[in-house]
Amino acid sequence: MSLETRPRSASARHAPVRDSVTTISADGSRPFLYPADARGRFITARRLAAYLLIAVYLLLPWIPVNGYPALFLDVAARRFHFFGLTLSAQDAWLLFFGVSGLGFALFFLTALFGRLWCGWACPQTVFLDYVYRRIERWIEGDAPARRALQDAPMAAGKFLRRAAKHALYALVSLAITHLFLAYFVSIPELWLYMHEAPGEHWASFLFVFIAAGILYFNFAWFREQLCIVICPYGRLQSALTDDHTLVIGYDTKRGEPRGKLHGRVGPVSDWPRDRSETGPTFGACIDCHRCVQVCPTGIDIRHGLQMECIGCAACIDACDEVMVKVKRPVGLIRYDSFAGFSGGVTRWLRSRTILYAVLMFVGAAVATYAFSTVKPMNFLVYRMTGAAYFVGHAEVRNQFMVRLVNKRTVPATFTVATAGLPAGVRQTGFGAPVTLEPLGESVSPLILLITRKDYTGPFKFSVQVQDAGRAFTLAREVEFIGPDARLLREEEEEREHEGRERQEKKHD
Amino acid sequence: MHASPPPPDEPGIKLREHSYDGIQEYDQRLPNWWLYTLYGAIVFWVAYWFVYMIAGLVPADGAKIDAEMAKIAAVKMASSLDVANDDKFWEMSRNPVFVDAGKQTFNSLCIPCHLPSMRGKAEIPTAVGPDLTDYAWLHGGTPKEIYVTVSKGVIAKGMVAWEPVLGQKKTAEVVAYVLSRHQPGETITVQPPQ
Amino acid sequence: MTGQKITIEFNDRIVRQFMLASIIWGVVGMLVGVLIATQLNFWQANFGQAWLTFGRLRPLHTNAVIFAFVGNMMFAGVYYSTQRLVKARLASDFLSSLHFWGWQLIIVAAAITLPLGLTRGKEYAELIWPINLAVAVIWVVFAVNFFWTLAQRHEKSLYVAIWFYISTVITITLLYVVNHLSIPTSLVHSYPIFGGVQDGLVQWWYGHNAVAFFLTTPILGIMYYFLPKAAGRPVYSYRLSVIHFWSLVFLYIWAGPHHLLNTALPNWLQLLGMTFSLMLWAPSWGGMLNGLLTLRGAWDKLRTDPVIKFFAAGVTFYGMATFEGPLLSIKSVNALAHYTDWIIAHVHAGALGWNGFMAAGMFYWLVPRLWNKPLHSQSLANIHFWVGLTGILLYVSAMWASGITQGLMLNATAEGGTILKYPNFLETLNAIRPLMLLRVVGGVLYLSGFLLMAYNVWRSIRGASAVNGTMEVYVEAPVAGEKLGVAGTFLNAPVLYTGLALLGSFIWMFTSGWLNIIGLVGTMFCVLLAIGHFQTRGTQWGEWYDKLLVNALPFTVLTFFAVAVGGLIQIIPMLTIDRRLQTEDRVARVYTPLELAGRDLYVHEGCYNCHSQMIRTLVPDVMRYGEYSRLGESIWDHPYQWGSKRTGPDLARVGGKYNHAWHYDHLENPRNISVGSNMPSYTWLKDNPTDYAALPTKIRVQRLIGVPFPNWSPAMIDTLAKEQAKDIAKELRAQGRYVDPDREVVALIAYLQCLGKTWEPAPTAAATP
Repeated sequence: MSLETRPRSASARHAPVRDSVTTISADGSRPFLYPADARGRFITARRLAAYLLIAVYLLLPWIPVNGYPALFLDVAARRFHFFGLTLSAQDAWLLFFGVSGLGFALFFLTALFGRLWCGWACPQTVFLDYVYRRIERWIEGDAPARRALQDAPMAAGKFLRRAAKHALYALVSLAITHLFLAYFVSIPELWLYMHEAPGEHWASFLFVFIAAGILYFNFAWFREQLCIVICPYGRLQSALTDDHTLVIGYDTKRGEPRGKLHGRVGPVSDWPRDRSETGPTFGACIDCHRCVQVCPTGIDIRHGLQMECIGCAACIDACDEVMVKVKRPVGLIRYDSFAGFSGGVTRWLRSRTILYAVLMFVGAAVATYAFSTVKPMNFLVYRMTGAAYFVGHAEVRNQFMVRLVNKRTVPATFTVATAGLPAGVRQTGFGAPVTLEPLGESVSPLILLITRKDYTGPFKFSVQVQDAGRAFTLAREVEFIGPDARLLREEEEEREHEGRERQEKKHD
Repeated sequence: MHASPPPPDEPGIKLREHSYDGIQEYDQRLPNWWLYTLYGAIVFWVAYWFVYMIAGLVPADGAKIDAEMAKIAAVKMASSLDVANDDKFWEMSRNPVFVDAGKQTFNSLCIPCHLPSMRGKAEIPTAVGPDLTDYAWLHGGTPKEIYVTVSKGVIAKGMVAWEPVLGQKKTAEVVAYVLSRHQPGETITVQPPQ
Repeated sequence: MTGQKITIEFNDRIVRQFMLASIIWGVVGMLVGVLIATQLNFWQANFGQAWLTFGRLRPLHTNAVIFAFVGNMMFAGVYYSTQRLVKARLASDFLSSLHFWGWQLIIVAAAITLPLGLTRGKEYAELIWPINLAVAVIWVVFAVNFFWTLAQRHEKSLYVAIWFYISTVITITLLYVVNHLSIPTSLVHSYPIFGGVQDGLVQWWYGHNAVAFFLTTPILGIMYYFLPKAAGRPVYSYRLSVIHFWSLVFLYIWAGPHHLLNTALPNWLQLLGMTFSLMLWAPSWGGMLNGLLTLRGAWDKLRTDPVIKFFAAGVTFYGMATFEGPLLSIKSVNALAHYTDWIIAHVHAGALGWNGFMAAGMFYWLVPRLWNKPLHSQSLANIHFWVGLTGILLYVSAMWASGITQGLMLNATAEGGTILKYPNFLETLNAIRPLMLLRVVGGVLYLSGFLLMAYNVWRSIRGASAVNGTMEVYVEAPVAGEKLGVAGTFLNAPVLYTGLALLGSFIWMFTSGWLNIIGLVGTMFCVLLAIGHFQTRGTQWGEWYDKLLVNALPFTVLTFFAVAVGGLIQIIPMLTIDRRLQTEDRVARVYTPLELAGRDLYVHEGCYNCHSQMIRTLVPDVMRYGEYSRLGESIWDHPYQWGSKRTGPDLARVGGKYNHAWHYDHLENPRNISVGSNMPSYTWLKDNPTDYAALPTKIRVQRLIGVPFPNWSPAMIDTLAKEQAKDIAKELRAQGRYVDPDREVVALIAYLQCLGKTWEPAPTAAATP
């Protein structure tokens, strides 16, 4: 490791290059970025989207649906409430649809629009740009002011601003994590926790403080490093783009060779040629570096599609603003596909997008079906531990346990019955309907007996559960088993034979 | 076939001269924070080893699980009674709070075999379970023996071990309910199980 | 300095052979995977055939994917890149061919023996001893061929890919030999010389590092060659290569015990397993980032080039799996995740994402170069990528959901934490059935993508003529002063400081009192000195390392020391200490002859693939299965059967829990007892005769490896076994089940009924290391 490298100090500012990461200096330190403010249609639209998402996050635990918060993952009771639908632990496999459905939707969107998720909907971007960076902007001013503050020596003014900023960061982080906890314990419960000593709820207390600490670290300092180094999803999204995917890019054909303005205002055709007529013809890019200044990940979009780009569209708005000022057409940096940038036409209908759409549709259909079959109760039949069957003096016996789960938030009554039993079978247990308290569960025995002579071999029957309102019936097939019927016969005959002998003896 | 890589366009980044089959290497640093995670993990190991192995501040797994299970056992004892104490059972069986609770459990779980009357085969000869109201017991008739029978079950006959399903408190309540049909000191007989 | 110029032609034939073999075996391995995943949903999918049951095919699946698919892929990549990186043709065409054909023969032998139930009963080390010997020989052939090539190299300096290959060759040799030490009882059966906890420790030292040095380091080497080649970019950081290579090979070895967390494994080993796993995160991500940031400069190619797509996704999955690994090694996380499908999700993120995608990227890159013809279809390759990625997403998310659901249900308690909420294991199994089905869908999608690649490759090479690469090299005269020698290898700042600091830390770890403090102070002193030295004389370190890179043997020796340390520290104390002291408070009695026969059947049918015999020191485990397992209860178990997955419940204390008839009915058809069980029906057990004749030899071998069986005569053994079988059959008869006492089912019941009942209080107090 003898290599000498020219150290760059953390605050030294370098133009982004293709061979290195802007936010990793030659000495390994992290140059902090001060992205400049941009204004424009995408920034406005993103702001609206972000506020909407934040509002949804803030409000979901407060809106009651069917007596429970709209989204309430009650892990302690293993009941999961989604907008009035309640799932039990036995339905947890449906979470799979949540995970893979999100995955498929993102595949589809990414094939069409690139890293749309990263720039528009990812909590990292939404909270960073529209909560934490807003606080920073408010307290420390715009990018040059923030940079100046960073370079200034630590004095009372700087200290106060910094302290205020970090205090607000910490408060916001705590608020976000508390609300997150509310998704799992509900708001009233959370309120209770907050009023009691931390010792009463150690696990929750630790969770909130550790999570808030992580959030604080992430949003106050770590920021774009999460997207660049940690997050696998950004990379997979990049791998899902193709020539017809809309990405944010720079129109090299129009922009190059870039050059300073030097009075060349207006559309390219209007520019004065170089006096010599042999000099270079300039492209539309005036090399003003606005696109670089506004970038929150420290790249130069003119280098092409890069790993760091989260698709926030700030450079589009920044460039458009400049283009309007110099009276050139906007869209030098824009959402377009590679095909579009190279002069072709973007194809929206491609085998991939169609395939994803079909898969998404199929997935949605399966999910809808699966969710629609979720009944407000669950039941399970299993054999009692001990033995497969019992052979009594007169009868063969099978013992089952039936677990009933009420997923409703009101008491419910169920009748449990059997169907398809052959002659000679007797059932005990579940003589009367069972009433379960809200979200309650019960386990009760169901015992079937068949007389020896009626038993001819294993048979299947069904256990059915019906709710009191007869709104639905659930059934499960179960098998009744016993010993080899011929053995039973033999034993029976032996016994009869013995009995007869005994009687004969008596008669003698 | 081997396109030579472009030279770095910034002087701070050093490209090593040596080329292996056309592959060259920069010599850039990774973020310092990445290194700190490695150092942090090493420090964590030192601290962890010190706490567990050298200072012995935390009990070993075996001792820990024993303590946890003891705590659970304590909760069980606190929530019910000394299950080896016959007198306590008799006391419970005269307390309507326990007896009613036990009756409720009995009626939801035990009546398929022992019937609501508790009389089992004595009432209906084809019932599965034996009579629990008479003085003849198959598996011991003292309160603590009855408790053992209910909690551990009689697997060969189909009597389930109920304690893992019900917990100690509810199991004890059921025993109290059964005992409420008996008197302390009554003469009992024990038939050996056939 | 330029010498004579010569042209060399590479041996690319062997690369083509290994590559095609990898694709073929990949299809086989994945097909078996899909079949056994189907069996978890539909138990009938073994068609009533013993050789198609899950317990026998799961080892075939893992062995096929690891050693046949990834193994062949790795040999292809290693041979292709090494020849070019060291500018030399492979040393011996004969050894290369022997390597290839020998390896394929081994795979065929494995594919025959494993379904027959011929197994050693240790995960990823199931192959029987004659095949073990063959593997060892062929691996040595590979090693000789590889190092011989290095010796003939025209490129003196070793590139980072070669470092990883060197670590692979030597470490796998070490691991394989130690974990396969066994004594045969017949041509197809042997007992491992280690038993109980020793066997478990050696097994996971091997098993974990098979992942490290068979599935990770060679693939990292392959990444370092093929990824910059495909991207046309320089590697991001040389110094990162240095740091992450040495820290990775040193740390990886230590992490093995994280497979045995919360078990009876002594605490100090668990602690090392967990903390070293946490330390592994940074080096693993160093490799991931070096690959990723190398690709960064060619990010726009990601849009069009399938090779880059596969590499980018492969590296990303490597990052995900190596983040998840340390997470799962935290004891409290492990308490929930271990034995569940979460672990299955984890390994498949690695196998499908990292190994499978790196392989695909490499194959797509190699085909046009090895056959001098463009790939048949780029768009088909792109579809392979999308379908494969979808498959991984489905598979992994299904298994995550499944593992966490089942883990939470198994741990759920009621009545104030005094009883289990779901005491019946089946309830938790039935809750994840739909997810196990979705995993099949994910697997089928992934396999479909792989088949697309096979088709694409076939269409590309059909009718194409194979070409061998050539290169013009200059034969250079050796430079004076390049040799390091023994002194140059060891007596230099980096090695001395590292060695002394490690020595100090070991003294600190394993001593008490003054020595302990001296160790700690010494370590800190060494570290501070090293930092000071590096700050002032860093160039010396760099120059020494540059010199080390042209000295292959010293490099190999240092790598060997780096990987050997961890194993020595962990395993030697466990092997040298008297087994009888590793008992905690209980010591097992030896098995009766019939129980031993039953135990061998348990291994033979691969029961350990779904059932553990280890009750962890965790409340839900103890509540569900009984008292936690003690070391002494399995000290005579060769091989140990602690297991690593609970598709069914733990069996450590199943003995006496049910009567014989219960087991008989359950083995005949598990659904007789357990509604909704997915266990196969072992109907053949009541037809197959128990192999009494093998027992005397087996017991003699057990005595040889230290199990205190009495000195029974063969006749005595036969009588004992048959007497016990008769007793069990009689009892079964009383319970209404007729069975011939000399059938396998009786032996297996004898074994199952003794589980958890063979211990006696230990005579002496338990000892700690």
